[in-house]
Amino acid sequence: MKHPSEEHDLVRWIDGEMNEAERATFEERFKHEPALATEARTMRAMSASLRAHLPAEMRVPHADYFNTQIEVRITQIALDEARAKQGGTGWSAALQWLRQPWFALAGTAALAVVGFVLLYPDTNGASESVILSSFAPNTHVQARTYHDSGAEATVLMLDGLDAVPAERKVSGINIQRSEVEPELASTTMFNGQGTAVLMISRDALGNHLISPH
Amino acid sequence: MKAFLSALTLSFCVASAFGQEQAAQPVVSSVKHATDGHVWGALIFATNQADQLTGAKEPEYSDLPRLHERLARVFPFKHFEILGQHRQDIFREYESWVVPSRELFMKIDSKGPADKGGVNLHLQVWREHQVLVKSDAVLRKDSPLFIGGPPWKDGRLIFVLFLERK
Repeated sequence: MKHPSEEHDLVRWIDGEMNEAERATFEERFKHEPALATEARTMRAMSASLRAHLPAEMRVPHADYFNTQIEVRITQIALDEARAKQGGTGWSAALQWLRQPWFALAGTAALAVVGFVLLYPDTNGASESVILSSFAPNTHVQARTYHDSGAEATVLMLDGLDAVPAERKVSGINIQRSEVEPELASTTMFNGQGTAVLMISRDALGNHLISPH
Repeated sequence: MKAFLSALTLSFCVASAFGQEQAAQPVVSSVKHATDGHVWGALIFATNQADQLTGAKEPEYSDLPRLHERLARVFPFKHFEILGQHRQDIFREYESWVVPSRELFMKIDSKGPADKGGVNLHLQVWREHQVLVKSDAVLRKDSPLFIGGPPWKDGRLIFVLFLERK
């Protein structure tokens, strides 16, 4: 296995990031280390070939690709931390909790809550729709959620959205059923008369396309 | 496959362009896919200016009574006009789209039945090619979801999602 600094030097040499002196020193090693020389030249050839065949710019797979990746990474970190905490605790940690002076008070309160729940089971919460989480990729947009008992509805309020231009015509569609075609990754939508009025499919990058436009 | 999809999309556009009276060639599936429920979705325009209403003649949805009154409890407007509506199966294994309008629509992925009734969903509200919000939600019967969308004219666009009883 190569030392990380050696890997680093190799990558810098392939990418042409070394200055003249560094490059000369590195290439001097090729005379005494034929394996390194072969590997370096092979990798540089592969790198050049890849660059020649890949476009200089690539479109992101979908509009909020980077935000999604950040979300995924944050979730992964949170899960890793949670697992690390779980791994670090055991019987000894549990016993330390029992020794805490506030444990008896907290335990009593918890028992009271459990007793209340058992005596007065929740009859409202289970009948309402609930927003468990929400994420707006645009940082200027705030998503607020709450239940409005007067309206008997759950509300997801998006504040800070750009206005739809007033001159723009916003028209609706009446769709009564749809057919999904998994092999084509498309959904065809029909109105009340059974006429196909809309189709949603995906392009090669996974972006949805609505037809007809 | 890519070429086939492009050809399919193109043929759909051409068919529609020749006249709306003529039915476009639908992609009819012979397979009945499993579902976790059915939703009704609507795009609603809320405004205080009656002269700004579009004149859309979408029928009221009988399963969701007092809709205008309930919307008025949340959104400070006098007039609520249904611009478009969409009844949609929630496919168990595939994404489902609720498209009452090309302007504002929703993608739904089912996460299965919820405890104590309803269905667990991952929702994405889209405005053309921009996702406005992503949410995980439990949608339950008789409890609609009101989503306050972008301003339009002197009012606001609202998306309503409702789990049907059937």
